[in-house]
Amino acid sequence: MTDPILGEERRPNPLRDPRDRRLPRVPKPCALVVFGITGDLARKKLLPAVYDLHSRGLLPTDFVLVGFARRDWDDGDFEDMARDAARKGARTPWREEVWSRLAGNIRFVPGSFDDDNAFDTLAETLDEMRDSHGIKGNAAFYLSIPPTAFPVVLKQLQRTGMADNGKSGGWRRVVVEKPFGSDLESSRELNDLVDDVFTPQDVFRIDHYLGKETVQNILALRFANQLFEPVWNANYVDSVQITMAEDVGIGTRAGFYDQTGAARDVLQNHVLQLLALVGMEEPVEFTADAIRTEKLKVLRAITLPEPLGEYAIRGQYTQGWMAGERVAGYRQEKDVPPESDTETYATVRLGVETRRWAGVPFYLRAGKRLPRRVTEISIIFKKAPHLPFSKTDTEELGSNQLVIRVQPDEGVTLKFGSKVPGSQMEVRDVAMDFLYGQAFTESSPEAYERLILDVLLGDGTLFPQAAEVEASWRVIDPLEDFWTGTQPAFYRAGEWGPKEADEMLARDGRTWRRP
Amino acid sequence: MTTLWDTTGTAVVKALAAERRSGGAVMSGLALTLVVVVDERDVQEAEAAATTAASRHPCRLLIVIRRQVEAPIPRLDAEVLVGGRLGPGEAVVMRMYGRLSLHAESVVLPLLAPDAPVVTWWYGSPPDRIAHDPLGVSADRRVTDVRRAEDPGAALRHRADDYLPGDTDLAWTRTTPWRAELASAFDTVRAAAKTATVVGRRDDPAALLLAGWLSARLGCEVPVEHAGGRAPGAGGIHVSSVRVELVDGGVVELTRKDASSVVLSRTGQPDSDVALPERELGDLLAEELRRLDADQPYAEALGVATGVSGLADRPDEPRTLIWVDPMQFDGRPVAAESSAASPAAVASSAAETDGSPRSAASTTEAAATRPAPAAERDATPGPTPEGAPGPPADGRDS
Repeated sequence: MTDPILGEERRPNPLRDPRDRRLPRVPKPCALVVFGITGDLARKKLLPAVYDLHSRGLLPTDFVLVGFARRDWDDGDFEDMARDAARKGARTPWREEVWSRLAGNIRFVPGSFDDDNAFDTLAETLDEMRDSHGIKGNAAFYLSIPPTAFPVVLKQLQRTGMADNGKSGGWRRVVVEKPFGSDLESSRELNDLVDDVFTPQDVFRIDHYLGKETVQNILALRFANQLFEPVWNANYVDSVQITMAEDVGIGTRAGFYDQTGAARDVLQNHVLQLLALVGMEEPVEFTADAIRTEKLKVLRAITLPEPLGEYAIRGQYTQGWMAGERVAGYRQEKDVPPESDTETYATVRLGVETRRWAGVPFYLRAGKRLPRRVTEISIIFKKAPHLPFSKTDTEELGSNQLVIRVQPDEGVTLKFGSKVPGSQMEVRDVAMDFLYGQAFTESSPEAYERLILDVLLGDGTLFPQAAEVEASWRVIDPLEDFWTGTQPAFYRAGEWGPKEADEMLARDGRTWRRP
Repeated sequence: MTTLWDTTGTAVVKALAAERRSGGAVMSGLALTLVVVVDERDVQEAEAAATTAASRHPCRLLIVIRRQVEAPIPRLDAEVLVGGRLGPGEAVVMRMYGRLSLHAESVVLPLLAPDAPVVTWWYGSPPDRIAHDPLGVSADRRVTDVRRAEDPGAALRHRADDYLPGDTDLAWTRTTPWRAELASAFDTVRAAAKTATVVGRRDDPAALLLAGWLSARLGCEVPVEHAGGRAPGAGGIHVSSVRVELVDGGVVELTRKDASSVVLSRTGQPDSDVALPERELGDLLAEELRRLDADQPYAEALGVATGVSGLADRPDEPRTLIWVDPMQFDGRPVAAESSAASPAAVASSAAETDGSPRSAASTTEAAATRPAPAAERDATPGPTPEGAPGPPADGRDS
């Protein structure tokens, strides 16, 4: 076998046996460079995830963590901060000896993003560690920084040659967090820039939803079973509802959120990705490319409703009560302009123009300050064409539903009719529940753990590609254009969205499922 | 929790169903049944381990404690728990006395979760022949621990002779961290291996299996050089170093540093410390529950370690029970077999046939492996493969 990077003859590792499922998938020796290591995401998610991966023995022996931020720190200061953060957020038990080994391989490079010297130092540090730490020139750059800083950092990586696979003698990858732009045009610019600095297959866009076990389970549920696929189409499915509800408000993200709104924040990425996974055709094989191809086909087949005014509703929460406490309305939140018309709730009816889905409406909704935090996909089936029971027997019988609960209580619910015990024939809905955590609690890895590991392994299955991001913006942009200058509908904090959203479904003779 | 004294298997099944109902929809997604076979003195350790494993792979946990086989009157005591001290799932702890303990399957079979895989784990010295163990044949995965046998080396050889796909041993599980570290170190090795050596205790089955695995994968002989000392090496196995020399003169070596870490040294690279703490019994068991398919790398390592060839080619067919009365070939008298009419007797014990040695009418090739001439064939009433005789008829007591 020829090594694709080094170009030299290479024997496969004799100790790796595909049948040996006990040995973990461990990446090649490498460095993980995190820009913005002092930020919230790095402290709460990335550092604990690195510790957990290390603690589970999933990181290579030769692994280096490099932090980059504008702090006057040395390696020791950084290690203290990283230790605190990892300890606070770790999911695996804290073991000092595990950390101390990781701590020996931690470096900090101080500097701001426009400081050429700092990036030269970073490049030198990586070069030195190639031999001193055996990382073989492999490095992943995690951009845990505001999107406005992306271009500067990317250009610095390009200038110093750090992004160059050939020059580094290993692989160089980059990890980008959402938002991937704020509309089609800006996302194209960003994609062009990233794909220019790195090679496209070395760009990993993190949508942490795709790292969740249940989301990956959608593919297993659909394509590993004979039971569901035959009815997974417009012949049997009446409609699909995808809900992503959050009980929290905007917290301290006012500056970002007021510019963004619910549609750009979550509809464009998380919710449309869920739609793609539910709607896609079977991939020819379970590889990153094959899955992306199918997802992209669905995203491109999405159509917007006519007229938009009736089937694309946006809302904003006003003062109300949540879980026994009074909470402020959106416009009263700290740092939000009092006249803001940014939406905190968005719902839209989409169509998917494929043979499988023609005529089936996909109702998407996402919002903040809704009664509870829940993300689920509900496949609602058509009613039986003929019921041999009398009408009064089946009055309480609803539609069959298959609900994929993404969070919390990850699992699957199947709703079907059943006879109520007793001397009369009466059919009513019952739910059959599969709780993912119950059959398999094997501590499902945190989404970030899984995704960081995949980046280091070079497995792009769970990362959306530039084309997918652009296809999603093509759906969201017309909505944003339509909404510009209009007032959002208002709903009280703690309600399931504005009444216009209920009317939207009522117009089609349907109702929202209460999650 | 329900506690049943001097009860029957039927009552246990009913009690479990009642506990399930009153516990609400606690367990809807049952993925497997774990049967634990343990002696009274080890119950606490085994329960702790099974609880850890069950918290990661919720399962129906059936703990079988065999006591006082000589007791004249068979008797069953049981404790039924749902979401109690034994983890989030359902658990039944059964103490079996007298000759019932030789027919534990009569109580266990009706308690297995329908159509879910069964894992049987012997905590204590493993059976010589799993086919002689009524709880082994109904299991999809059979987990033994040869380290707990009096002569672990001999027990390991027994495992190889007796091996069928689905068997595995905790001595093998203990080698996983060492194997993972070695495999990871080899990711950057370009040259082929020339020689390899494992230094450790030659009576530790884990050391033998580690050497067996290296030999199977690297294609060279891997001797185990004896190093004394009682304390286990890192990761809880008695290995003090593994050294692989490469054809280009390079060396990859893992050396024990202390009880929970090793040093990885490679030619041309700085040494690095690797944390390799000893894992608890529950963690080992949880690793076994993660995958329920046959473990071919174990078969290969076991074959090399014991010099038995062709393990990986053994057919993956269900085991057939060969019933052996341990009390017969011990030469001791069979106590009060015909007094099974005691009110305490479990329903199925009325079908005892083991009291009277009958002529072995249906001798098969398996009979040749029987340890004693007095051994007697019996058929499990469970889902046995074709060719097994039907359940024994009632009233054949002498």
